[in-house]
Amino acid sequence: MNTLMRNVRVLKRMTSADLSQAMVYRGAWLLFMAANITVPIISLLIWRTVIANGAKLPIDERYITTYFVLLSFVTMATSSWLTGFLANDIRLGKLSSWMVRPASLLVGFVANNVTEKILKTVALVPMIGVLWWIFRDSMNIPAGVGRWLLFAVSVALGAMLVFTIDILIGSLAFWMDDVTALAQARTTIANVLSGAVVPLALMPDWSRGFVDFQPFRFTVSFPVEIVAGNLSSSDLLVGLAVQLGYVVVLGLFARLVWTSGLKSYSAVGA
Amino acid sequence: MDRNWLAKQWRHLKLWRRFFAQAVVRETQFRAHFVSTLVVSIVQLGLGIVPILLLFGFTSDVRGWSQANVIVLVGIFQIVTGLIAAFVAPNLHRMTTYLTQGELDIVLVRPVSSQFYLTLRWINVAELGDVVLGLAVLVFGLVYSGASPNAGEILQTVVLAGCGLVLLSCVWSAMSYLAFWLQSVNPIGNIFIELLESGRYPLAFFPAGVRAFFTFAFPVGFASTFPAQAILGELGWLPVAGGVALSVVAVLLVRALWRLGLRNYASASS
Repeated sequence: MNTLMRNVRVLKRMTSADLSQAMVYRGAWLLFMAANITVPIISLLIWRTVIANGAKLPIDERYITTYFVLLSFVTMATSSWLTGFLANDIRLGKLSSWMVRPASLLVGFVANNVTEKILKTVALVPMIGVLWWIFRDSMNIPAGVGRWLLFAVSVALGAMLVFTIDILIGSLAFWMDDVTALAQARTTIANVLSGAVVPLALMPDWSRGFVDFQPFRFTVSFPVEIVAGNLSSSDLLVGLAVQLGYVVVLGLFARLVWTSGLKSYSAVGA
Repeated sequence: MDRNWLAKQWRHLKLWRRFFAQAVVRETQFRAHFVSTLVVSIVQLGLGIVPILLLFGFTSDVRGWSQANVIVLVGIFQIVTGLIAAFVAPNLHRMTTYLTQGELDIVLVRPVSSQFYLTLRWINVAELGDVVLGLAVLVFGLVYSGASPNAGEILQTVVLAGCGLVLLSCVWSAMSYLAFWLQSVNPIGNIFIELLESGRYPLAFFPAGVRAFFTFAFPVGFASTFPAQAILGELGWLPVAGGVALSVVAVLLVRALWRLGLRNYASASS
């Protein structure tokens, strides 16, 4: 318990330090988020045209619109980018200086992640607000606070899931020289299977069972579905349970890989 | 346009041939880079086509575009963006460092046009794999759609795609030159790349206002829609003339912007 409290304190300090550093590039965050929102807008316009053109989709215009308007927020909120940095720190021996410090290197990554997400949220939410207003007539807005709470929980779980997968892949650098190709492969696979490119509801019927239960659905698509779709209570319950299950199982696995990696770690220059 | 001007262009052409030869030599040293870039290109091309495949699973025609015609368009788009990735992108990605690390100072004292040098110095030969892939997709699409373009239509296509290449490079250059005023422009490259994604779809898939934007402001229509229409025999010579005129104007504007930026440039190293 003591270690946990200390880590939380360290995390708070590191986050506020990171924040003041990152605030130097305020304009850059705005541009980054403008880039983030571009592809969802393109997809939104395309699919609305397809529907207006009379195509018979399994989902309606309201679902599509809500989905793509929320998409950039959820991909941002659940994203993580530590694989490359972690692998570099391991390979180049920078991990050594962290091992004599009172907090784990991973706490540093959490702080960095939280910091960037705070700044990105500040930049992104107004843009999504504008989009929401433009398409307000065809947005699904769930009644009641309950759905929004579930949405928030699911986004947080999704963020943990992505972060864990990142640690898993980055930690392989303890044994492999270069994880770049692996990270790249993961990104491309995740892009399609998470629903970031096309809503998973549009995937062909033969892929249904696999698409619904693979882990990447719970990194992006599932939280969006909570707001955009009409999931029944049992769908919600099963979904959240599966999501939590992935977080716990992958979390334990990442911990195992990380600790056994630390044991086998012999730094460059040590 | 005196003989002096011609001689200068000839010298630049010879210089560019040297850059290219050097890039080829460099690439043969890093064969793994070539192979991995090619593999990534193939995977990304496949993933880029996923939305279109899914889309045409629900309908056979969207505003006059069949699946075969869109595949023709994707092929052309792949060729043009591959050329940009090989010849222009490696340079513009460096613009921030040129300006903030004082590298521009070294370029300015060299006896070549600084704009030429900064836009075309670095070549990424491996990206030419994208161009070859694009050609394959284009040929497949043409066979699939049963089109048989005549010489005039092929000429239209080549000229229009060339305009697309020039126009998009000009837009990206202009965006990068903002570094003279903003210092860090790295996120601008991101916005450019994301906006470029719209070229995977025909302009007809977008609402009217957006279509105008993708024709004149961010002229991605010239990289895919117009050349595709030309090779499918649906375009006259008037748009070709328009494209050439637009390209000339764009080049002149970018030249002027570069001069303006240089006048504003206060050197990072002195």
